[in-house]
Amino acid sequence: MSEDTFMGVPRDKIDWKPTIDYTKCNYCMECFKFCPHNVFKKQEDEEIKLIVANPTNCVVFCRACGKTCGLDALSFPNKAEVTKKIKEMRDGGSANA
Amino acid sequence: MPEKYAVLPCNGLDKCAGQIAREIALLVAEQTASELICPVFYRVAAARYDKIAKENPLLVVDGCATRCASKLAAEKGLKICRKMTVTEEAQKRGVNLAVEPLRLKQDELALAAVLAAELLKEEDAVDGKVAAAAYPRPENYIIHKKDKFIFRIPPEGFYFTENDCWVQPVGSRARIGVTDYVQQSLSDIMFVTLPAVGTEVEQFGEAGSIESGKAVFEVVCPVSGRITAINSDLLAAPEMINQNPYEQGWIAELELTNFSEERDFLLDAEGYLKVLKKKVDEFHANQRQG
Repeated sequence: MSEDTFMGVPRDKIDWKPTIDYTKCNYCMECFKFCPHNVFKKQEDEEIKLIVANPTNCVVFCRACGKTCGLDALSFPNKAEVTKKIKEMRDGGSANA
Repeated sequence: MPEKYAVLPCNGLDKCAGQIAREIALLVAEQTASELICPVFYRVAAARYDKIAKENPLLVVDGCATRCASKLAAEKGLKICRKMTVTEEAQKRGVNLAVEPLRLKQDELALAAVLAAELLKEEDAVDGKVAAAAYPRPENYIIHKKDKFIFRIPPEGFYFTENDCWVQPVGSRARIGVTDYVQQSLSDIMFVTLPAVGTEVEQFGEAGSIESGKAVFEVVCPVSGRITAINSDLLAAPEMINQNPYEQGWIAELELTNFSEERDFLLDAEGYLKVLKKKVDEFHANQRQG
């Protein structure tokens, strides 16, 4: 996946992924079952049973797994800020000079 | 406003939001001559509610984002007239229901009353559509097939995001919508939340959502602008997005603010076809693994 880009910017330079609030999560696994991109990973034998294992697999600006969470335990970065950073990276700094 | 609805609430006994959903349903039934549908009983004895649910406009009250009531409506093939999710509405009003006890007190009862009134409120009649003729219909489509699925892409006049949304600019205005990939992934679309006319949307900001029994998809607006019209026909017939998301399934129209710059961040049909092919392959590979 290392060659992946989003809007011409390397995917691994873009900070977009779900964050699990473990104080709310009850490991219902609805998000895990929903996400087709293997962003989440189950760890049944561990105390923390679900982790964000592949953050760069997460589709930038997608928040669909969050909408499956009845406990509102998933959060995402601020869209406007991420868009701004992507645009800056696309400009390669030259347009900001 | 019709005097009679069928009201299908979440029955969540173990969450405050569920208790509020039940209370809202009760208030709506009391204030109108509506019939309540018990989701638990509906599952085991469909005949009891099928007629009520199909003959009256259906109001669905979900407690939380698990959307059990909406999913039940999808499972039963019901058409939703209006719906709300209690946790979302509470959040908009700065209330976190996760920390509230199950027994409703004064504040929660007051919230339920506000939300019941909201659910019964007439939609504002806003319909400032620009003549459809201004937006040329695609004469043909690029077709990508995978197993039984067919994905269409209009070859010209449309730009796309990697989030499977499109924009069709005409002069200083543009229509937006979702692609075939979205409607195929969601399958039967049962509800559409349209953005409000007059709102300013940023490029890649949220411009409504569409929902099936499977999931909720947030419409990622390909361009910035002010919403000038919405496709209100979708409220009564959301399946038009399944039929053709590029023509009768358009979602909203915007007055463009910065299209010449924003176009650099969009894909043309060929560019989007590459993204689509990759997504379809990955999705199928995962389905097989699962």
